[in-house]
Amino acid sequence: MKKILPLDRRQFLHRATLLGAAVGTGIGFQSGPALAQSARGGVLRVSVDQAPARLNPLQHRVNPEYLLGELLYSGLTRLGRDMQAEPDLAESWEANETLDTWTFRLRQGVTFHDGTPFSASDVVATFEAILDPATGSPARTNIGPVKTVSAADDLTVVFHLSSPYADLPVALAYTDAKIVPAAIVESGLERLDSEAVGTGPFKLVSYEPSRLTVVERNPDYYDPERPYLDRVDVVVYPDTTAEAAALISGDTDLMLIVPPSDFERVGGTTGITPLRIPSGQFLNVILGCDEKPFDDPRVRKALSLSIDREALVELVAEGYGTVGNDTPINSAYPFFADLPAKTPDYEAARALLAEAGYPDGLSLELIASDRPGTRTQLAVALRELAAPAGFRIEVQTLAHATYLDQVWLKGPFYVGFYNMQPTVDGIMSLLYTSDAAWNETKWNNAEFDRLIAGARGTIDETRRAELYAQAQQLMHDEVPTIIPVFFDLLGAKRDYVENFELHPRGAVFRLDHVSLGEGKPQRG
Amino acid sequence: MSPGYLARRFLTILVTLLIVSMVVFGITQVLPGNAATMLLGENATPEQLAAVTSRLGLDRPVWLQYWSWFSGLLQGDFGTSLRTGLPVGPVMAEALGRSLLLALLAIVLMLVIAIPLGVLAALRRGGATDLGVSIGTYLGVSLPEFVTATLVLIFLAHPSFGLFPATGYVPLTEDFWSGLHHLALPVLTVSVVLVAHVSRMVRSELVDVLHLDYVRAAHLKGLSRGRILIRHALRNALLPTITIVALDVGYLLGGIIVVEEIFAFPGIGRELIVAIQARDLPSIQAGALIMAATYAIANLAADLCYAALDKRIQYA
Repeated sequence: MKKILPLDRRQFLHRATLLGAAVGTGIGFQSGPALAQSARGGVLRVSVDQAPARLNPLQHRVNPEYLLGELLYSGLTRLGRDMQAEPDLAESWEANETLDTWTFRLRQGVTFHDGTPFSASDVVATFEAILDPATGSPARTNIGPVKTVSAADDLTVVFHLSSPYADLPVALAYTDAKIVPAAIVESGLERLDSEAVGTGPFKLVSYEPSRLTVVERNPDYYDPERPYLDRVDVVVYPDTTAEAAALISGDTDLMLIVPPSDFERVGGTTGITPLRIPSGQFLNVILGCDEKPFDDPRVRKALSLSIDREALVELVAEGYGTVGNDTPINSAYPFFADLPAKTPDYEAARALLAEAGYPDGLSLELIASDRPGTRTQLAVALRELAAPAGFRIEVQTLAHATYLDQVWLKGPFYVGFYNMQPTVDGIMSLLYTSDAAWNETKWNNAEFDRLIAGARGTIDETRRAELYAQAQQLMHDEVPTIIPVFFDLLGAKRDYVENFELHPRGAVFRLDHVSLGEGKPQRG
Repeated sequence: MSPGYLARRFLTILVTLLIVSMVVFGITQVLPGNAATMLLGENATPEQLAAVTSRLGLDRPVWLQYWSWFSGLLQGDFGTSLRTGLPVGPVMAEALGRSLLLALLAIVLMLVIAIPLGVLAALRRGGATDLGVSIGTYLGVSLPEFVTATLVLIFLAHPSFGLFPATGYVPLTEDFWSGLHHLALPVLTVSVVLVAHVSRMVRSELVDVLHLDYVRAAHLKGLSRGRILIRHALRNALLPTITIVALDVGYLLGGIIVVEEIFAFPGIGRELIVAIQARDLPSIQAGALIMAATYAIANLAADLCYAALDKRIQYA
């Protein structure tokens, strides 16, 4: 079994329980040596496909909002492109033996944009706000089993967990776990709807949600080197064709998401560099394991055996993707287990169906939301692909609002869509363990739960890899869900935009490292 | 026109708006999904959903939600957007301002082009010019905005020609020329239908009027052709045109929504679409009310213009 591990065990232990040693900024993020020579100045114009509706960093939900959160705020840690935690406001961290108490040392001399100094009390207040369900922060279910957070002194914060959790430093890099001033938490978070008071590399200049958000360099950023840009304009283009046209004509410099259908045209234009990275973003078909007919594993396996995954990658991802193996983990994650690829076997599928009591095949209704459009594409393709095995699938497409209200987490057979999570545990305990927040398959497998809990409580990398491999094997065999296709993330930039690369997670951008090289446009 | 008439008209408008607000509120209650489910999306736990539903006040009885919104409105407060947390009034007012600018420029362009075009066609009735105008305006009337917009985009905003920016908006106060440049294509698209509509109207009215006795009498009196055309014929021909323009304003609002969406123009139409997608009730209410009010006021203005141009028309 092949395992792709980004770090060896010693490196991992060093990162995870970085004892005392202060670590420079940006480790593991920049691979090139060009950092010190990066040109300063200039205005970067980046386009996004959706209006950033929320400025409050604890409530961000879509990529354009994550981008603003990252420009204006800092977290305790950051997620590197290798999916490991890097220091941000926390310089170092360590765990106790049982992995249920973590201590973070904070950076000294940091100030918020309004000039107030940053300290441990801000971290405590922020996490108390995140843990309060009334705040409605997605971070609450994504930062791990955090029970309480306390300040040991001005620059030391202690996290007390309800169960051992080896991934805490990575989980704290979550997009919405951004640190806001304690004074604002106390006086009311509403203030953050129209103002940005962070410690991030940029400061807010103007915010017009449906058109344009402008940020400028924060002269008091904790790293005197970064950011390199004077200003970033985040421009909203709800229509991707128009967005692509703006990049081609030079109106904008960076397009964060290019649809597969436009990728070749946009990326092939002179003066534009295409960007592409494999990601853990996937489409899945939820099989309600608690009701007929999917309570019978033979039916689930039969469906799984009747899908030509290579064809789906072509159809749904237009070739910019990789086949899935019915586990949510692919090579973009650490601890990926390279299991034998599933190929269509209609005869075996028909036999399994007959054995399960459906010798004449099975009629089903598959529901897809209209957003993103690939959900419907997958559903329709599945209808055709599974027909030879005896599945008569009727596809129903619903408006996204209706889907969220009536189908998601309720229906027994529908198409889901998930972004890559920062950790293997993040996606497994979000969707597939018995107590998962969104246990949409109702699979409830005790063995699987045991493996995931075991990996959470283990710092030994080899042991964790074994446990996660077994968990993936279990999903591969039992098929609580069908995950046939993973998407590559696609983007494009003008050639003069330097030091920008896509991040496999999709929600991480790091414009604080970007600079503009030769040929950059002159902007006011 | 009596003050009583004006007061009655305003009262009718207010009652209409009240009914519109109730209908809109009712419809949003029937739609699946509320602002909390849309806000949280596939990121929600039932517990979070309940917390946000309660924070937004969506768990209160419908009549109470309506009343708290309505009583705020009476004090000039449109409420807070459930989506952005920002006050709805200023956001919608700004968006309306941008849409009005777009509409105003489209109407100016329409007047500048449509009236001369209609006059020209009427004077050269049956000739090649008339035929050309006739075919052109047929096309203009029958093409929906999304088709016109797409054609305009293909021919005028193609990156390799670089004539106009495809989308976006720059405030005129920020950069006047760039602002106009960005406005050009949406204005052009909206005005295509208006020009076609109005120039057809002007042509047919003028053709009718030119054959009336008083025009002939004017000729016999020895008045100049231009004077007859402008002072006598056109003035009468424009009266029915005003009604058409007023009706077009209502139509314009619908057309502008499509155009705003295609050209990514941040006007009231796009705000409304986004609000509906997010089930952002206060914003939907404000957007719908503003659009209904604009329509009602445009109609009132048309009637007033009518009276001003033709002294025989009296509203009592």
